[in-house]
Order: sequence, then structure tokens, then C-alpha cells
Amino acid sequence: MDIPLSVRGLTPLTGEVIPIRTVQETRPPEEFADAYVAEVNLKAASKVVKALDSAFPKDPSLTLSHLRRFVKRERLPAPVRAAIEDGQSPTTAQTIFVLIAPPLPDVDKLQTLLAPFAPIPTTTSTPPTPSSTTDTPPETPAIDTSSPPQIPLHTIKVSLQPPFNSHQAETWTETLWPVIFNPAAPRSTVAPPPSILNRAREKVAREAEQSGLGRGVGAVIVDPASREDGEDRSDQWVQAVISVAGDARYSRPEGGQPSQAELHRGKIPNPVSGSYNADLEGGPELHALMRAIDLVAHRRREEGHRAQPPLTDIIASAGGGAKLRPLESFFLYRLDSSATPAPLSQSPSSSPKKRKHEEPNPESSSAAAVPDLKTVISPSSSQSQTAPPLPAPPPSTIAIHDPTLHPTDAHCSSSILPSANPTTTNPRIRAPSQGGYLCTDLDVYISHEPCICCSMGMLLSRFRAVIFPRKGRMASGGLASEPAVVPAPVDDGQEQSTEERVYYGLHWRKELNWRALGFEFVEEGEGAADASEEKTDIVFHA
Amino acid sequence: MDMEDFPNMPDAAKHAAFMKEALQMGEKALHSGETPVGCVLVYNDQIVAWGMNDTNRSLNGTRHAEFLAIAEMLQTYPRSALASTDLYVTVEPCVMCASALKQYRIRRVYFGCANERFGGTGGVLTLHSDPSIDPPYPVHGGLFQKEAIMLLRRFYIQENERAPNPRPKKNRELNTRFEDDENVLPA
Repeated sequence: MDIPLSVRGLTPLTGEVIPIRTVQETRPPEEFADAYVAEVNLKAASKVVKALDSAFPKDPSLTLSHLRRFVKRERLPAPVRAAIEDGQSPTTAQTIFVLIAPPLPDVDKLQTLLAPFAPIPTTTSTPPTPSSTTDTPPETPAIDTSSPPQIPLHTIKVSLQPPFNSHQAETWTETLWPVIFNPAAPRSTVAPPPSILNRAREKVAREAEQSGLGRGVGAVIVDPASREDGEDRSDQWVQAVISVAGDARYSRPEGGQPSQAELHRGKIPNPVSGSYNADLEGGPELHALMRAIDLVAHRRREEGHRAQPPLTDIIASAGGGAKLRPLESFFLYRLDSSATPAPLSQSPSSSPKKRKHEEPNPESSSAAAVPDLKTVISPSSSQSQTAPPLPAPPPSTIAIHDPTLHPTDAHCSSSILPSANPTTTNPRIRAPSQGGYLCTDLDVYISHEPCICCSMGMLLSRFRAVIFPRKGRMASGGLASEPAVVPAPVDDGQEQSTEERVYYGLHWRKELNWRALGFEFVEEGEGAADASEEKTDIVFHA
Repeated sequence: MDMEDFPNMPDAAKHAAFMKEALQMGEKALHSGETPVGCVLVYNDQIVAWGMNDTNRSLNGTRHAEFLAIAEMLQTYPRSALASTDLYVTVEPCVMCASALKQYRIRRVYFGCANERFGGTGGVLTLHSDPSIDPPYPVHGGLFQKEAIMLLRRFYIQENERAPNPRPKKNRELNTRFEDDENVLPA
């Protein structure tokens, strides 16, 4: 079975995607700024918006869609209305009040811009201008040069954050400026990405565990812009995947000693995973999320510098000797899988060592859940013989590569080389010269809630969004901002009671320079009992 | 040598020597176009690993000095040795590194200047002392903090041509003044 077919056979998980509340929501701060209000001709409202939007660019970091753009006089908050009408008798003209939100433009420019849309005085009760042939008021700037209308600007306060609940929305509407409360999208209007990626993530996680090189944690990095529409069509999501990585915490030899994977070779899953012993946990740079980030970085280095050594069987900079596994290399060095599925290898007996995936895959009728590496490589395996000799590793002080560690994998990994041609593969990872910068605008799907270290690594990499299944919540995680279920008032004396844990909600904290959207995936039919992190047998850092 | 930063610390000269090594790594980072943060790991009173920021070269925003030093140390020492190892780093570890150091069970952390934007050991969060599945570790800040800050200032008056929208900084001047108790990163 080949990987393209195997990943395309994945079926979506059904369930619900829930935004992880931010600590601002669980402990909401209120942040306000000045805005202007101006009274304009009601009929010119749409022109006013166009003029404002084209003249004064918005600050992309401010999402102010919760603020009403226009408010009729009778809907003005009482304090605002009082201030506006103070010393000014309300006109009888048909007018509406427009909000000029932060960042505030120059007052003179603003008034010049708004002048054409000033309310049409009707105090003289003259009928509409004689020239009017239709019902519409003057189209062009009302050229009444005798007294160019000066629109007064009233300064008010508005909330920079959308309201978190209806009470807050009502309060602001009555006292500051009318706001829209959208309970479904507390922090964003970005639709959560397709649920099928949750399946891919599980598959990668299983591969990590089955390889014996790490715990069963997997991460999938996706470019949401690659999806043409919101459908979960498999051919589309495959195209959107940038890189996948599994946990590899047992893969690194330390202090000249064999790695835990080497020590327990053939035992699946690795017996060390049955407990948490810090000395045997590798390190966070071997966690799935960190490895996925480094795969993107390494691929980008290759795109940017052709002279750089290609990624062979190691992640030299951060992976600490972790080898690429079949799914990882498939997505990183993609052959044009949609057009020409890689042929199946017909010589399984020549396979250097059978990978340990004998268990039938519940999702597949085929016995081989994860294919042999050979199926990933380019059609002509003879190409592997033409692979260039390995260049020297990059001038990093920490490149760790022990080719003797997994001699059986050497053949396979070197045969990945031919496909590692930067000119033809994975163009989604743009070179720095093409604007590629870290993991900007990418989303990451991960099978477990990432640890604090990885959560911050995600922010430092500028991801757009992170999503993990609720059943993968970890007591050691960095994203949740509150317990998944309200803890029972009576504690049953479990070890959990020893120390209070902290919920960091790191994906979105005001104090930190970078933020990402956070989502939890709650599988259909998942009981409340499944939701609590206490359910996880062994607490470790994912 | 500026010893006023830790007058009451026993073995002040020793700490100063290690921190100066870390500062030298920071200098090296600056000359490589990296955010100038440097560190050393000290095991049995010996420096066993050096690290400096490597995010720009590697195109990986997680390649902070601490990770490079730890990886270097683990080439020679088992992970368990980190429990008897101290870190000297010019800038307070960020949230990511503070968590990593805890997972690695570092014995103690000495840092130069605080990191009010990303700091994980007091600057923003207090991961070193928060409850977790790993034991807490003590931190000591303020060693050669002026030197550490000056390194950063020298870096931040440069333009970051790698950023998607570099900000022009032609008119900026290196600020060499210090308020009395300043311990913050330059803006």
C-alpha cells in the first residue's frame, strides 16, 4: 500500500471544533480607545464608508468588526447623544452617525473627506434641490461654496475587543457605542479547518509510536490558504499539508549512549513510554510540534540555498538525529502524488528490515497500515544509486548524526534523496526570498495538547492557529485556559489534588508579542468523562 | 569587571567568569546577525557547552541559545547530568526555554537582563516555580545586566531585513544611558 493512497483513504472524524478560550476571556480585560463620531447624510452612508476605507487604512491587528459602523440618532448611547446634542439643536435632516474607529486619522483630512456628506440642512424647509431629477440627494459633493459644511467630530470611547458576553455587549451599547455580540466567534471569524486533518494527525502519531522512536504524538502543519473551499475533499487537504512529524523523544543517543529506541529495539510501543522518567524523555526539541517546525525550516533552507546540504535521514539542526519516517518524508518531499501515485514495491523480501506495522489498520482493509518506505520513493529505485554523496553537515555545533544507529534504515533514507529536489517538490514552503518566514499564516494540528515549551515554540514560529483533540488534553499542556470539565467539589483523593495546576492559555495572551487561534476538537459522542486530562494515564510533555 | 551586580553572592568571581563567557557568545551572535543572546552550561564548575541564538541562520524561530547549548552538552553527557548543571544566559529565558529547562531539570539559572516580553522565569510567566510534573528551579537575575542590555540595543538599532515588513531605523541612535534600576529590554 502506498502512502498517497493510504492518506487519501482517510475519512473525516465527526465532531465539533471549539475555540479554546483565551485567558482574556476567562479573565477578561477591557481595553478602550478613542474614536470619532460624525453626523452625515443618511443617503450618503455607503459613500461615506467607501471614502473612509479608501482614505484611511485599517490597522490589521485590530479587529473592530464588533463595532457598529452607523448608528441612528435614537440609538445613540444616552451619554453620547447628550454630548452630541449639547449646545446644538438636532437637525431635522435625515442623518446617521458614522463611527471613525482607531487608528484615528488626521482631523483636518477627515473633515475634508467628510464635508461632501454633511447633513443637508432642511431648516428652511426648501424642497430638494431644484436640479434633482431623481429622489437621490446630490451625488457629487454638495458644492455650496458659500459655507463649506464643517462636520463636527465627537470623540467617544470604544472597546478594542469584541464583547465576551451579552451583558458586556449591552453595557457597552448603552454607554459607549453600539456593538455586535457574536457568541459563536469570540475571537475570530476564521472558520476552523477541516476535520479530516485530525485523522492524518492520528496516523502520524501512530507512526511515531509504532516506530519505537517516540511517544504516540503527531503534528500536521497545514497552509489554510491552500484549501480552495471549506470542503473536506481529501485531494484538497493533502495538497494543503506542509509537513508532518511524529514524536521522536527516544531517538536521540545522549552522552555517547545508545538511544532508548536503540536499547528497546523491536519493542512496540517503546517500553519507556509506560512511565514518565524525565531522564528518558529526550527533550522538547524532539516533540512532534518542534520537529514539524524544524522540518519546515530545513525545507526552507533548502529552497533558499541550493548549496545547503539536503535533508537526508536526519534533522540535523533540531531533531537530534531523529530520522524521517515514511509519512514525514512523504509530505516533506512530495512526489506529485495526485498525478502519479507512487508504484508499489514488488520486492518486499528485499526490504532491509520489515517495519513494525503488522497490526491491521482499523481504517483500512489492507494489513499494512503504514507502507514501506520504498513505496514513497521515486518510481525508479535505481535513482537512489545516483544520489549525490552526502555533503558535510551544516556548520552547526550540534549536528548529531550517527549513521550506525539505524543501519537498517540507511538504505531507505538515502533513497529519499532523489526526490529532494528543491525545484520540483513542495513549493508550498516558500524560500525566504519569496517571502517565506517561519510558519507565518500556517495552522498546526496536533494529537495532544502541546507542552508549554512547544506552545511557545508555536508562537515564536508565528502560526495562525493550533488545534488538538479534547481527549488529547494534557495536564502538562500549555494551551488550555481552564479545566475541560468543572471539577467535582468533592475530591476523591487522587494524586491530582496534591498541587494545583496552572492553565496558561498560551495561544493567546496579551502579554506575549505573538498570538495564535486555539481550537479543541471534541469528537462526536465524546463523553464528559473523556474530556478531563486526568484520564490520561501517564502525564508527559507532548 | 562589573561586580556590583551580585555583591552578596558567594563565589561572585566564578559567576562573573561564567557570565562573561555567555556575553561573549552574545557578541558572537550579534556578529552573526542573530539576536544577541548567549549562554553557557556549567557542570562540575566547568563550562561544558556554549550556545547562541540561531534563529536567523536556521530559519527556525525556536532555535534559541539554550537549545543549542543543551544539544551540545548531550553529545557528551547523559541527560541526567543536567540536574547538576547551571545555566548562565545573558537574557532571561523565554517562556519556551524556561519550560524546556524545567523539562531538562536544570539545577539553577543565572541570567543578565530580564525579558519583559517573553520571559518565562519572572518576566511574563513564572514557569521556574509554577507547579508542574517537573520540580522547580531557582533563578538569579541581574548578572551583568547592563552589558546584556547593551548587546540587545546594539542589535535592535539595526534593521531586520528578514522581517516581512522591515521598519526603517536609520535615525535611531544607540542609547547608552541607564536608569537607576532599569532591567528591561529595549523597545
